[in-house]
Amino acid sequence: MPARFLKGLRLKLLSEEVINYKKLKLLCGLEIHQQLNTNKKLFCDCSTAMQEREPTAVIKRKLHPVASELGAVDVAAQYEFLRDRTFNYQIFKNEVCLVELDEEPPHPLNQEALEVALQIAMMLNCEIPNEIHIMRKTVIDGSNTGGFQRTTIVGLNGRMKYKDREIAITSISLEEDAAAIVKDENGNITYRLNRLGIPLVEIGTGLLENFSPEEVQDIAFNIGMLCRSTGKVKRGIGTIRQDVNISVRGGKRVEIKGVQELGLLARVVELEVKRQLSLPKVVEETRTVNEDGTTKYTRPLPGSARMYPETDIQPIVVQKEFLGKLKKNLPELWTKKLVRLQKNYKLSEDLANQMIRSDYLELFEKIVGKTRAPASIVASTFISTLKDLEKRERVDASKLTDAHYADLFVNVAKGKIVKEAIPKIIKFLSEKPHATATAAIKYLDLETLSAVELKKIIDDILKTPGLTYEKSVGIVMSKVRGRVEAEVVMREVKRMLKK
Amino acid sequence: MEALLNAKKIKVGDRVKITKAGAAYEGLLMPRIELGDTSSFVVKLDNGYNMGIKFERGVKIKKLGGGQKIMQEQEKEKTSKEIIFTKSLPTIAILGTGGTIASKVDYRTGGVYASFSPKDIAIKIPELKEIANIRAEEIMNIMSEDMTPECWKKIAGAVAKEINSGERGVIVTHGTDTLHYTAAALSFMLRNLPCPVAVVGSQRSSDRGSSDAVVNVACAANFVANSDVAEVCSVMHGSTEDDYCLAIRGTKVRKMHTSRRDAFKPINDLPIAKVWWKNKKIEITNQNYRKRAAGKVKVDDKFEPKVALIKCYPAADPAIIDFYLKNGYKGFVIEGTGLGHTPTLGKFSFLPKIEQAIKNNVPVVMTSQCIYGRVHPTVYHNLRELSKRGVIFAEDMLPETAYVKLGWVLGHTKDIKKIKELMLTNIAGEISERTEVEAFE
Repeated sequence: MPARFLKGLRLKLLSEEVINYKKLKLLCGLEIHQQLNTNKKLFCDCSTAMQEREPTAVIKRKLHPVASELGAVDVAAQYEFLRDRTFNYQIFKNEVCLVELDEEPPHPLNQEALEVALQIAMMLNCEIPNEIHIMRKTVIDGSNTGGFQRTTIVGLNGRMKYKDREIAITSISLEEDAAAIVKDENGNITYRLNRLGIPLVEIGTGLLENFSPEEVQDIAFNIGMLCRSTGKVKRGIGTIRQDVNISVRGGKRVEIKGVQELGLLARVVELEVKRQLSLPKVVEETRTVNEDGTTKYTRPLPGSARMYPETDIQPIVVQKEFLGKLKKNLPELWTKKLVRLQKNYKLSEDLANQMIRSDYLELFEKIVGKTRAPASIVASTFISTLKDLEKRERVDASKLTDAHYADLFVNVAKGKIVKEAIPKIIKFLSEKPHATATAAIKYLDLETLSAVELKKIIDDILKTPGLTYEKSVGIVMSKVRGRVEAEVVMREVKRMLKK
Repeated sequence: MEALLNAKKIKVGDRVKITKAGAAYEGLLMPRIELGDTSSFVVKLDNGYNMGIKFERGVKIKKLGGGQKIMQEQEKEKTSKEIIFTKSLPTIAILGTGGTIASKVDYRTGGVYASFSPKDIAIKIPELKEIANIRAEEIMNIMSEDMTPECWKKIAGAVAKEINSGERGVIVTHGTDTLHYTAAALSFMLRNLPCPVAVVGSQRSSDRGSSDAVVNVACAANFVANSDVAEVCSVMHGSTEDDYCLAIRGTKVRKMHTSRRDAFKPINDLPIAKVWWKNKKIEITNQNYRKRAAGKVKVDDKFEPKVALIKCYPAADPAIIDFYLKNGYKGFVIEGTGLGHTPTLGKFSFLPKIEQAIKNNVPVVMTSQCIYGRVHPTVYHNLRELSKRGVIFAEDMLPETAYVKLGWVLGHTKDIKKIKELMLTNIAGEISERTEVEAFE
């Protein structure tokens, strides 16, 4: 995860010539979609885990044109569009029920999701509606089995500080995620239904004026981090998706959808600016992003979505007391947390910056609080040791549980092992996840040597005549690596040679 | 709040600006949805979302512009009731009775409004033009749960009128909850039926792209135009997919799920036909049916509405029988347990009450709450006790069908012997002498 963020931050401009975005009047708008990590879906009690790999069944459906204020012409067009399309919906155990299948009315709105969404709205200084009305937004691409997506406004007219400026947050809505497309074979389209209904917060910014592509990316990053500070958002590929609107020189607006890697955003904006500059005339359209940051045409820019009330669910009155309680328990802003990480844990600015982006942030704080192990050792284990092991030795760190780490750092805190022993233990545990860290230490014989034991080993080695200091340290280290810190060995050898 | 709106001459649908504690919202003023906070304004913002703004001190509302009209009552079509696509196609009738099946949505309020012009139906279900010319008429607009025997009579009359003026078949659109009661009633009331009658509903409202109405009506149209089945049938989704509908005999069908598309199942019978949507194939799945023939249908709608359907359960109070007798009821259908039991012990025993009813010439008909299977008068001692007292064991008849049939039979005779005879005579496919193994799945 941190790698993904960093990759983008390090991206260099693609061309030598520096584009003057201010002069070009670059205007962007961001729409950030973040999945929430609630136990249950937004309108039913299915799990949001998306762990299942094999569908238990596939259901075939069609969608039909829907009545429209636009009259017969629009219906005829929909009919043409839908006629040759068949939707295959994959069903997964525990993750799909009759609600996703459009065979049962929605359950009441997930309270946990509403609370997280309202927290985000409050952190972004939004006005909160007195009464929340669930809407149906018509969608006929098959990604919603019912032909519409349920969505509701939870915040309006907010703002966020960025550098010394203020970013307008136009609206925040809480909605159900759509089914994920698996394949499209000439209109025979397969969707995974387990993503349908996962709570999603959509955050829309006002027009971003006079910002560089890197800054636009950084703004998206800031919003993403703000969401993450609730501790209730999903992590990993596909759990956060950003759309960006781009225009230059007051020209036509192009919408780019589905940037899944934040680190790619600056590049997407930059490439789109170049693309628009190379065209004699820009056409309003929707484009989808490719892996390398280039984009491809998807469809003309849609008109405003048709929305009408979800009559199966009553409007929800947002009580003042309820809001007050949420407000009291707002999570710490990530910018504040960054300062606190440096201050409380004495982490370097660089390490703190990496830690705050890390998936292990929560675990880090928990472990340091509980075990009193040195924060810098715990942080560098999570930031660099794991990465090194994954890269150099193909260690699968995902096999380790929170309990493994807690046990490991209890041993560090008690002085049972030195930090040099940590990589060996992690590697061992990734291969034998049923073992405990304490057992691994015994098995690998990694317990820290006592001063007496170390002295005995050094004594033995120094008996050999004619050894230089460097040579002696080398031999001793080869015998005690991982059981004594190198500085201690050097200090002791020097001391004993002097004798 | 109302007074303020009246004073400012602001109506639902007007464009308004509401200010509150420094914040301002512009949009269309929406009607209140039931059960929301009655002291809130509902505004449709320009981004399409609705939200509620509490009306309290300091809230100001200003009219910005004259409103769009919010559709609030049925839009009457003044055009003809008939639509002809191709002269060579047969003409069928579609009669609306209410429910959401052929309705229009007001996309601003979410309200659903009946709209039953042939034009609207043809737009909604484009494949109709390949199947039949249509005559469409809304004969009533009543929700399923509010249907009464009077409604059934009216529907039977309207169906007969269409058939006798030469339509190839008739579709009755209906709310789903009591669709099977109406189907059973039509089965008894329409005598000498020469052509198919399909009773059709939809489990998903028609505002959504996934509505089952399209497939159900298209299959029903195909069924009434092209099949040789001269019976009243329900025609509804046969599976959760959009592949085929089942035509199920009107006296043997029951709604078996609150919300699924394939809620309607044949009970103790096989479906008469599988009607494929896309390739329009009609596959007969049960050879035992009445065939299309020449002749006129006769409406026989004499009906006694004072019939009660009672469910037995552990410790049920038999005094319920007294209540109905006191109120002049003329017949009982009991949904007994298992093979057709009522409680028989001590103060919970139904036996004395049943005996009293039958002595007063009020028939008692026994069905089973198992829904599937046949009742039996002699397997157990207690069954024999009931039978001895003159309870009519209604074979494999559905409780709902028995309820409708008893009303119809009582409309014709009050003679207890004659009633028993008619109840045990198969009049409209409501009794099967033998049950196929596949009829229970």
